[in-house]
Amino acid sequence: MAAGGGGSCDPLAPAGVPCAFSPHSQAYFALASTDGHLRVWETANNRLHQEYVPSAHLSGTCTCLAWAPARLQAKESPQRKKRKSEAVGMSNQTDLLALGTAVGSILLYSTVKGELHSKLISGGHDNRVNCIQWHQDSGCLYSCSDDKHIVEWNVQTCKVKCKWKGDNSSVSSLCISPDGKMLLSAGRTIKLWVLETKEVYRHFTGHATPVSSLMFTTIRPPNESQPFDGITGLYFLSGAVHDRLLNVWQVRSENKEKSAVMSFTVTDEPVYIDLTLSENKEEPVKLAVVCRDGQVHLFEHILNGYCKKPLTSNCTIQIATPGKGKKSTPKPIPILAAGFCSDKMSLLLVYGSWFQPTIERVALNSREPHMCLVRDISNCWAPKVETAITKVRTPVMNSEAKVLVPGIPGHHAAIKPAPPQTEQVETKRKSGGNEVSIEERLGAMDIDTHKKGKEDLQTNSFPVLLTQGLESNDFEILNKVLQTRNVNLIKKTVLRMPLHTIIPLLQELTKRLQGHPNSAVLMVQWLKCVLTVHASYLSTLPDLVPQLGTLYQLMESRVKTFQKLSHLHGKLILLITQVTASEKTKGATSPGQKAKLVYEEESSEEESDDEIADKDSEDNWDEDEEESESEKDEDVEEEDEDAEGKDEENGEDRDTASEKELNGDSDLDPENESEEE
Amino acid sequence: MVEEENIRVVRCGGSELNFRRAVFSADSKYIFCVSGDFVKVYSTVTEECVHILHGHRNLVTGIQLNPNNHLQLYSCSLDGTIKLWDYIDGILIKTFIVGCKLHALFTLAQAEDSVFVIVNKEKPDIFQLVSVKLPKSSSQEVEAKELSFVLDYINQSPKCIAFGNEGVYVAAVREFYLSVYFFKKKTTSRFTLSSSRNKKHAKNNFTCVACHPTEDCIASGHMDGKIRLWRNFYDDKKYTYTCLHWHHDMVMDLAFSVTGTSLLSGGRESVLVEWRDATEKNKEFLPRLGATIEHISVSPAGDLFCTSHSDNKIIIIHRNLEASAVIQGLVKDRSIFTGLMIDPRTKALVLNGKPGHLQFYSLQSDKQLYNLDIIQQEYINDYGLIQIELTKAAFGCFGNWLATVEQRQEKETELELQMKLWMYNKKTQGFILNTKINMPHEDCITALCFCNAEKSEQPTLVTASKDGYFKVWILTDDSDIYKKAVGWTCDFVGSYHKYQATNCCFSEDGSLLAVSFEEIVTIWDSITWELKCTFCQRAGKIRHLCFGRLTCSKYLLGATENGILCCWNLLSCALEWNAKLNVRVMEPDPNSENIAAISQSSVGSDLFVFKPSEPRPLYIQKGISREEVQWGVFVPRDVPESFTSEAYQWLNRSQFYFLTKSQSLLTFSTESPEEKLTPTSKQLLAEESLPTTPFYFILGKHRQQQDEKLNETLENELVQLPLTENIPAISELLHTPAHVLPSAAFLCSMFVNSLLLSKETKSAKEIPEDVDMEEEKESEDSDEENDFTKKVQDTSNTGLGEDIIHQLSKSEEKELRKFRKIDYSWIAAL
Repeated sequence: MAAGGGGSCDPLAPAGVPCAFSPHSQAYFALASTDGHLRVWETANNRLHQEYVPSAHLSGTCTCLAWAPARLQAKESPQRKKRKSEAVGMSNQTDLLALGTAVGSILLYSTVKGELHSKLISGGHDNRVNCIQWHQDSGCLYSCSDDKHIVEWNVQTCKVKCKWKGDNSSVSSLCISPDGKMLLSAGRTIKLWVLETKEVYRHFTGHATPVSSLMFTTIRPPNESQPFDGITGLYFLSGAVHDRLLNVWQVRSENKEKSAVMSFTVTDEPVYIDLTLSENKEEPVKLAVVCRDGQVHLFEHILNGYCKKPLTSNCTIQIATPGKGKKSTPKPIPILAAGFCSDKMSLLLVYGSWFQPTIERVALNSREPHMCLVRDISNCWAPKVETAITKVRTPVMNSEAKVLVPGIPGHHAAIKPAPPQTEQVETKRKSGGNEVSIEERLGAMDIDTHKKGKEDLQTNSFPVLLTQGLESNDFEILNKVLQTRNVNLIKKTVLRMPLHTIIPLLQELTKRLQGHPNSAVLMVQWLKCVLTVHASYLSTLPDLVPQLGTLYQLMESRVKTFQKLSHLHGKLILLITQVTASEKTKGATSPGQKAKLVYEEESSEEESDDEIADKDSEDNWDEDEEESESEKDEDVEEEDEDAEGKDEENGEDRDTASEKELNGDSDLDPENESEEE
Repeated sequence: MVEEENIRVVRCGGSELNFRRAVFSADSKYIFCVSGDFVKVYSTVTEECVHILHGHRNLVTGIQLNPNNHLQLYSCSLDGTIKLWDYIDGILIKTFIVGCKLHALFTLAQAEDSVFVIVNKEKPDIFQLVSVKLPKSSSQEVEAKELSFVLDYINQSPKCIAFGNEGVYVAAVREFYLSVYFFKKKTTSRFTLSSSRNKKHAKNNFTCVACHPTEDCIASGHMDGKIRLWRNFYDDKKYTYTCLHWHHDMVMDLAFSVTGTSLLSGGRESVLVEWRDATEKNKEFLPRLGATIEHISVSPAGDLFCTSHSDNKIIIIHRNLEASAVIQGLVKDRSIFTGLMIDPRTKALVLNGKPGHLQFYSLQSDKQLYNLDIIQQEYINDYGLIQIELTKAAFGCFGNWLATVEQRQEKETELELQMKLWMYNKKTQGFILNTKINMPHEDCITALCFCNAEKSEQPTLVTASKDGYFKVWILTDDSDIYKKAVGWTCDFVGSYHKYQATNCCFSEDGSLLAVSFEEIVTIWDSITWELKCTFCQRAGKIRHLCFGRLTCSKYLLGATENGILCCWNLLSCALEWNAKLNVRVMEPDPNSENIAAISQSSVGSDLFVFKPSEPRPLYIQKGISREEVQWGVFVPRDVPESFTSEAYQWLNRSQFYFLTKSQSLLTFSTESPEEKLTPTSKQLLAEESLPTTPFYFILGKHRQQQDEKLNETLENELVQLPLTENIPAISELLHTPAHVLPSAAFLCSMFVNSLLLSKETKSAKEIPEDVDMEEEKESEDSDEENDFTKKVQDTSNTGLGEDIIHQLSKSEEKELRKFRKIDYSWIAAL
């Protein structure tokens, strides 16, 4: 894990805050911010795991940090018998974190205990510590500093094992070879040391500015046939302050030239570098470089010898805010660090501000050359202590969510007419017929209204209004008409409605029924009237099922309780009212308007054809419709039940349904007649 | 590569933490809790497990700090032993073998070298409190058979025993009476609640007891929620008690603060109540702790409390009643309806968590990540309330969609059902409710599955229900002039002869949907929703259904309740094979053709791993668990393993986890037990060397001067005292674990000898000191020379002074001689 240097006013200090992912599974992300706080975040749930403030955090700010390699085994292994099921140990658990400070001390912080473990001072550095590296297995720690020295620490005893001068200027970066026997150090030039003897093994030219990061990129030589001494043939990478080029070097025999083998070019100074080690020759090295401008550049390259041209990145990742509204432009969100997950196919990105970063796992898609992720981090600015302790996340439930209740279209599968071919024909015909007839009817409508207005001003203009409202979909008109509570008025209006407006009316009623229950109470009256009065017309319609499917489902769902009883009740009401109505209206002449609608002779012929063709299905429609009517009626009943006081009536209704209905109709119908007359 | 051993079943996922009261260390840095056969040591600051103390062979039933050494911990177990631990390093120091089952442990500072345990002797439900004398012996395993009887006929739970007022008496409660035993008088007084004879008030039996640390006051908790404070109980007649009543339900536990000024109580209300000065008026509350408080404990330092909850968590609470940390295992309070799932995004295990929540549990770090609040309603903790249960959940489309089903059924006809579809919003990195469906079905939803085919354009979800229908829901465009939106709508409703739909499952490519209707399996085309064919074996209701994967995608597997496992070939529409296997859990591996089935027999559960193409199983493991296995899941590995032997190949790409009825999460491991068993000390074995504080500098300067004065007068014997670390015998004695040391009698003479001053050692000591100084000088010199390196001698590593002399090279000796000539008088001037 590379750790960037600390931010300070020194122009040659590396940019970015020191931060690092914990080794192995990257469960934690440690970040030492410029205010002197060390914060450790859990990468999996983006939770602040702990915060630590060193006592000297203002004078000696943290300049670099490094996680200790995970300990797999303790020294004493207690003997025990094998058990059927034992606990899975938390292997790979990481604990110690080494922090280098600006005053030259090194702190070892235990993340398990949440306290300072030890402090390495005596015989160490007397100036800013630039880089810390843990040895993989020997329990040693290497640090380098502005005081030009490299120190080897024995962590077990917290004492200096060895201290030597590493460079003529400050030593800014360190890296231990994969076999653990060599050490790379860099100020401006890069040196490879033999750890046992502390002698320089190779020199490399290095960079013009202080090297901020060093990393071995391969663990095996490219040429497998030659005997491998652990170091020859390995590649390593270096990045420097103010340098937009990352150089790759190869450790070769002594006489060869000391310049870089190849280089990668990025857009700004590298702040954080992570890579996946390639284990065999074919597997490319994957490299993620976080730049000071907040972008991540991804490289994928098989290292094999020279390459003159600097390589550009395969993929660039940027993060930006969504930019609310039209005015505000999306702003970039800086990426602080990026680390490859253990599957090498996804990347952990740390972005946002350093005091409240967001950590996200992003799957890599190598095909895209540029990835711009839009992230809204405005709501995670304030750290929430509550959620940090209870670990409860509340998903957003806003009003924009779609709500489906029984009866609303979408809750149940839409009813489609059974034979698809005939349906097509029908719709063609229908649509054709409609298009022509709408104009005609509109024309006729105008005449109608005029005529009516002239004929009798005292009769209610509700049918006219309603027709107009339905044609124009004018909410005001419709509300005015449909919100009436007068049952007689409703009945009369429905009786006088032209037949072609029945279906639109039903659809409008269905829409309103789905809405607020209060309006549904009113609509039920309308629906009841429409269905009783125009049942015969509706039963002649060939495409009734698809047209009134939603209404049917709605009613079906609303009469779930006492379903069978309400079916029966509805059927009886329908039959009886129709019988009585037909008896009463025998004498009465049908309204004049009816004749006006009969003039569509051609279409009626067609319809009759259809009727012949689909006789069987027609029966079904009848059934459906009757059911729906009956249910609707029951619905009324339910509403009534809700409104207290009418319970008794309903009870009677059920007992002596026929009688009651007869009486009811006899009450209503004379009125109708009288008014019609 | 991992060494291939036998595949073993290992436990994971935070075992039970709330079995007994947790115990704080003396400095409140650590908290100990029993967890199955282990004792776990957690840090109170970071919530991390520092050590797992293993050694007991049965359930650990009690832990207490050693009152004589606060760095040691006693634990007792049903295996009949008391063990003494060094919890800082996680080392077992001593084992005392008592012999009978121990149910609880108490220690008392006044009772030196004896502890109190609860045992049951003759009858199964009669428990006794006895004191066990722990013999002093150097050997690691000691028999402790000296039991002395204290109290008889007591309650098994340690909550019903309390030692009071510096060990003057012990109070025990059971049913309707409180018994107090006075150690000095050796008498027992018994107080019976007056109302116990009266059946009307039968609910006031005792549940727990606590004793005031300094005064003669006993607090007892009762079934009806009252707390009684007993005073003046030395007299059988004149005793008094006062009542504190806030809890409306049983008082689960009581604890006095260290000073005794306040009393803490908790119960099912999940509210921690602090009674100040033992009066009813001064109450403080810490509400909404999430689940029933089972235990309360107080740190000896007095700065922290902790509450153990029924949902397997420990909350650490500051003195000012602010929760500071939560140690949370896998939430275990309630039954698991959702089964085990893997969140494709976080790779976390997802299952029912807190009431109304889904818990996300990271298997890699063995930690709970978070709880996702699905129901979003205040949970009322009360007995007998019918709550909304989260019954089903499923992830779809690579974690972009989450479907949850919640249900509440008060009576048979009054079912409330709601399905929610959540969309993962990448911008805000969280789930947002997209569609809420009330009563998606008329009856309970039995199965829920997404079509997870890679190339499916339209997310598809299928729900199967007991009402005889299955519904297909698809995501459609809901945009209108105001907003762009997507929403779910029902696309198709299918049924088969009014049979209850019991299972549903999509084939790997999403082209076929299999729905089982009781005994019949129906196959539907997922494009036209036409019924393609049916399979019926008349072998009982289908319990599990799954398609084969990859090369075995032409097979469909069904397990029935009558214990038959059937495999149908979808190309020939015929039964390929069947086997008699009472399958409880059947899970396909998403990364291979393998299918794991766990069968249930009277003896235990067995695991079978097989490929649908061949009825011969790849791997069989008998007896994976004694109890019923309820759920299982394959978890894809991040980095594939490479087992070569045939028996382990099925573990190469995925790991199999399963959950038993008692909600322990188990998995299979191939690693050797040693490797798994020794992760206890997680720290590098680095010595703690903390630097001096400024305060030390003030004091230290003074000290140093003293030291130097003493250095001048080396003849004085006292001088040696600060240097004792350098005497090998002493350092050996101090640094070797106690259990490997030889007997004290043997060591004694050596130890005393080493403390005596002898001419030789003194001179030897002088020399290494000189070496140090000289070499430091040298290293300073070397700074000027470029690339000159020099090792600093590590003095602490050297065992004996003589060794150092031998290590010195000739040149160094020469220089030493030079140094001898140098005048050291300047030291005195310092």
